[in-house]
Amino acid sequence: MYGKKACELVKEFSSSESGQLSAFNTNLFAQVNEECNFHFHQLQSLLSKMQEEGSDNQTARNADHFGALIHHLSLVRNKRCLMAYVYNRAEVLRSLCWMVDPLPEEIQEKLSSSEKEYSKNHSATIKSYQSETDLDLAVDMVPPKDPYIKVRVLDDIGSVALSDQIANLARHAILFLRRTDAETYISQGLMEELTD
Amino acid sequence: MSQYYDLDDIIAEDELVPAVFQVAANGVGLFDSSDETNKVEQGSRVELPFWLARELHLRQAVSISLPPCFNQKTRDELAADAAHVDLKNRCPYFYELGCKLFSLAGDKSIAFLLLAAFQTRYKEVLIKAQTAALAVAPKFLTILTKEEMKLYEAGQSSMAAFKKWRMGGPRFQKASVLGRKRRPSD
Repeated sequence: MYGKKACELVKEFSSSESGQLSAFNTNLFAQVNEECNFHFHQLQSLLSKMQEEGSDNQTARNADHFGALIHHLSLVRNKRCLMAYVYNRAEVLRSLCWMVDPLPEEIQEKLSSSEKEYSKNHSATIKSYQSETDLDLAVDMVPPKDPYIKVRVLDDIGSVALSDQIANLARHAILFLRRTDAETYISQGLMEELTD
Repeated sequence: MSQYYDLDDIIAEDELVPAVFQVAANGVGLFDSSDETNKVEQGSRVELPFWLARELHLRQAVSISLPPCFNQKTRDELAADAAHVDLKNRCPYFYELGCKLFSLAGDKSIAFLLLAAFQTRYKEVLIKAQTAALAVAPKFLTILTKEEMKLYEAGQSSMAAFKKWRMGGPRFQKASVLGRKRRPSD
């Protein structure tokens, strides 16, 4: 049946967990493109056949007309599926760019080459905008209540100069840090916030 | 009006609808793989995906009938106890497809069917989302359509948010993409 593969592609994306990316399905994507080519050739051959017979595509409602119509509709449908797949992945990717920078290796390897370029350019744009306005826009996504928080270090980071102290961030250490210093580490998964 | 990039809308339009060709069409041989003439004859009965059936129906090329999930048996079951009918198995996009078919087929009874079914089931979904223990929920979840699933999840997350607001919770969270185990297939 026409348009089946394209819909599979969309279903695959739709069934994955929202906000997360699975690997770009290059294989299926190419197959759908192939199907589009097939429809295009069929459409063209039908149209040229009608031209030879001298019948007008607008008025003649013969079997060739409807055959061409079905191929045209299948093309439009496949296009919509492909566009939706690429568009929705790009949306997820964009929100990931705001959450973690740079993107971890395990996400990078799931992207297609144009998606890699998109994420790189998007991060660069965010950075240049931030340096222009002189604000770190990714910080304080949730309004803070206290400038200091208690954190536990999850990994050996070593001695780091923070904004108000030089702290030894050894694994399992429990520290009282400035919120702004801790936040980058927490978002990278290197620390966790302790709540009483 | 649904959006061009809307994934659910795309998948809903892939549901099969029984149709009868009113005209012949050349160059399309995929409807019946045993047929090698590469042509669809007038009067052939086929199951077309909705996106194709709609456009062909609007051009009077095919006549469509209602898919099996709107048959009399389902209607009777919905009338008896809508909350316990397994709609997911029949058609995971029951409401979406119903709305689309209603405007196309002009069958007024679909609208009342959808409304009555949704009203009864909505109540049940909200009650379950706010009260049911996790152990009970899985069995109930298997009969919900995609739309009802979203309602259920929305109900649950707002309940969780309410509880969190009452207790107070951590302000910083790990980025959700981190700390996730990689699947072996990747």
